[in-house]
Amino acid sequence: MKEKYIGQRVTRPDALAKVTGQAQFAADIAVHRDDLLHAKALYPPYGHARILSIDTSEAEHMPGVVCVMTAKDLPAGCTNKYGADEPDKPIFAENKIVYEGDAVAAVAAETLAQAEAAAAKIRVTYESLPAYEDPRELRETYPSPIHENHPISGQSPVSLSATVRNGDPGPAFEQADVVLDHWYRTPMADHAYLEPDVCIVEPDPVQGGFTIWSPQHAVQNAKQDMAKLFGLPQSKVRVIGTLAGGGFGGKEDSTYDVSTVAAALAMKTGKPVSFEFTRDEVFRNTGKRHAEQIHHRLAADKEGNILAIDVDAVIDKGAYRSVDILPYRGSYYAGGPYKIPVSHAKAESVFTNHPYGCAFRGLGVPQATFAMEGQMDYLAAELGMDPLQLRLKNIARAGDRLHMGQVMLEERGLGLEECLLKAADAIGWKDRAKTGYYDNRGTVKRGKGIACFLYGIGTGSSPDGAHCLVQAQRDGSFNVQVSQSELGQGLLAAMSQIAADALGVTLDKIQVDYADTAASLLAGPTTSSRSTMYVGNALLSACKILTDRFLGYAEGVLRVGKSNLAIEDNMVMVKGKPETAVPLAEIVEGAYTAQIPLAAIGSWYPPRVFFNEDMTNDQMHTYTFGACAVEIAVDTETGIIAVERCLLAADVGKAINPDTVEGQMQGGLTQGIGWSVMEEIFMENGRMKNHSYHDYLIPTAMDVPDMETIIVEHPSDLGPCGAKGIGEPPLVATAPAIRSAFWDATGIFIDEIPLTPVRVMKALKRKDCAE
Amino acid sequence: MAIVSFILNGKPVSCDVPAEETLVDTIRRRFKLTGTKKGCGTGDCGACTVLLDGDAVRSCTLLTGMVHGRSVTTIEGVGTMDRLHPVQQAFVDVNAIQCGYCIPGMVLTAIALLNRNPDPDEAEIREAISGNLCRCTGYQKIVEAISLAAKRMREAGEEAAR
Ligand code: FES
Ligand code: FES
Repeated sequence: MKEKYIGQRVTRPDALAKVTGQAQFAADIAVHRDDLLHAKALYPPYGHARILSIDTSEAEHMPGVVCVMTAKDLPAGCTNKYGADEPDKPIFAENKIVYEGDAVAAVAAETLAQAEAAAAKIRVTYESLPAYEDPRELRETYPSPIHENHPISGQSPVSLSATVRNGDPGPAFEQADVVLDHWYRTPMADHAYLEPDVCIVEPDPVQGGFTIWSPQHAVQNAKQDMAKLFGLPQSKVRVIGTLAGGGFGGKEDSTYDVSTVAAALAMKTGKPVSFEFTRDEVFRNTGKRHAEQIHHRLAADKEGNILAIDVDAVIDKGAYRSVDILPYRGSYYAGGPYKIPVSHAKAESVFTNHPYGCAFRGLGVPQATFAMEGQMDYLAAELGMDPLQLRLKNIARAGDRLHMGQVMLEERGLGLEECLLKAADAIGWKDRAKTGYYDNRGTVKRGKGIACFLYGIGTGSSPDGAHCLVQAQRDGSFNVQVSQSELGQGLLAAMSQIAADALGVTLDKIQVDYADTAASLLAGPTTSSRSTMYVGNALLSACKILTDRFLGYAEGVLRVGKSNLAIEDNMVMVKGKPETAVPLAEIVEGAYTAQIPLAAIGSWYPPRVFFNEDMTNDQMHTYTFGACAVEIAVDTETGIIAVERCLLAADVGKAINPDTVEGQMQGGLTQGIGWSVMEEIFMENGRMKNHSYHDYLIPTAMDVPDMETIIVEHPSDLGPCGAKGIGEPPLVATAPAIRSAFWDATGIFIDEIPLTPVRVMKALKRKDCAE
Repeated sequence: MAIVSFILNGKPVSCDVPAEETLVDTIRRRFKLTGTKKGCGTGDCGACTVLLDGDAVRSCTLLTGMVHGRSVTTIEGVGTMDRLHPVQQAFVDVNAIQCGYCIPGMVLTAIALLNRNPDPDEAEIREAISGNLCRCTGYQKIVEAISLAAKRMREAGEEAAR
């Protein structure tokens, strides 16, 4: 295959429509339709309460109202339980509220204003209950005061628990020269995608079932989960993923929070219904990054070799299970990218009255990495070693084992050392140790920090594969049908680049049909940074089947064996003799006449993984690696941290489109800076106190510096052209790098983020007192 | 209800709106110009930015009645898919677009900036767009696009002057 487009800065197919405002998001589609009913739901003013009564009579008689619904009005066959992993969340609460995003009732009316007016007239009486917010306390509380009978966990306060047991850490801790024992805390965070959650649900009067239009991470999963919820055959639900105005993992679940309500109303009324959250509802109702408290113990010898870790991570699950592989990931990533011979790593997610924890760029890995990299800096301080050298000494190279027993394989692309060296070089690491490099006598103190990570591509749970469909048209153009979503990450560009090169055609011949369950095959979600690798490989396999067929047919036309034929620039040609060529369109037309099928299914599965009983495993086949380096200025009078430089060297295997790879890196780093120094959700009695962009601050253009990106390419033998994945990794090591720079600047370690002015001032004061 | 007359993308329009209606809803729901996005409705994100007599304003915090007699430009009024405004062209050329939800507001804010200041430095660009949130790009390619547009527009201006 000739790489004509792969590796190039190809313009995104969606760029023109987006920059002119012509691209329609789901809310825009709703504006252009005039046959829709509009929905509004009622949410409780409590985080934990019992519902005593609901009176909808006044609302039902309001102008324009077509339908008012509560749990008792749900269509027959509806289980009233949904969720991205396991169904446990009701569309409408039946008798108890477990967080403030539990809908109690909803209205469908002719206009949105009418729906809002009617929803305000629904009378609900509640008995307020104490809100439970501390997972460390709650995990010892049996039965759970939150779920009286959870469909999966029963009365247990724990949603899921996972432990890696690799040897016995006891003796290692006894023999160690250094034992580090620290608690790390990371906050909940909102995805803050700019497009509020929204959907249109339209019943199908012809064949039954319904169609959903909404921004989605996983149309095929949504199809299955919605069918299960409403007791319909899966074949009767069609899901169309509209262009998403950002997702970052969140819309995997939150899309259900709107589409379940709209579907219930649509089924009841037989009419198409649109439902859009306000920004306030997005903040209060949708999933968040899981807050974690991680007790991390590490044993090392005086040369700086890590001997063992012993970790206990407590995860704030929030009210519902949602995506709850967090304990697996918390235990799996507890040791970072280092060779560690002995490990005991436990992680548990515990129900609270908070918004449910869901997928958010990195899914548990940023939390685990914050703790492990924090330990590395403590260790460097303890031993008086350079933090970079300490990391270089401990990273797992080919043949070394990670803490959960996985052996690192060279053929999967191991670029971490190169990332660390390049990041250190770019940030000017060697100056860091020079006395007098910074004049830190004043009130503004500067420092540099570095942190590194690995990030497994794919969900890591078998079977995790992808299928796709490629159809040749008789004019030599192609439809590439994938179920993945365009979330802004550049799916359309990457898929067209891969398909065009694999088929030997120009980009204009490729149409990507994306995120429509009626025009694609099962391919898993657009999450876990897996699309390029999984769907890219499936696409290569489908294209190979088709080009083999067409070249086979061309043998008879050109009278040359197919091994001597190639397709390039829409022409089938004899290799080395481009003058002997026929247009691909003619060959496809000929093949069609000869009754050769013009469509092919391509599939790809990674090697299957199995867990051992002690949870040691090699769940992840391929890792993206990276090193983040920052330079910060700490104003010791205000506590404000300015991130003055931020760079990431990432081993992505192969950059299919360097522009979109850099875009992912720059965006991920920025979210990382937000999570590290600004973003924090304040809860009080189970209610969110900061539920607008005014109070929940995300980085603006003035809060971040130019992001420096260094692409490193150690190809994985499993990836398409060696590519791994880059969606989530960029955020993973920002927080520990900033923490490390704060230590360099002030001599203080802070084990809790975000490093907001309040937290920074507190830490500085503590140090003053100590001195 | 009150009749409001204004210029929308160069054409005189009027509509009968309730006093509390905001411009973003008028533009989107009545005139079906859905290039203007609504990200918050509280004046905090900038996705709903339009030009009011050439200045970038948030259409979600502006009552429609307040634009009576004035001129409003939305993203639909600055360029089309085959005739992009130089700012739009630069966004495309540097691949500054990801999900695209913030982009119409960014483009309009950038146009207002360049009208005021044809040669902004990076800090001035960052300050000008600091009221426009973008959760995808990290702003960097957007800043690059605006500087590139400024440079091209200055060069085109010099060319024309010659
Ligand atoms: S929608 Fe107007 S500022 Fe966010
Ligand atoms: S491109 Fe997605 S918010 Fe800016």
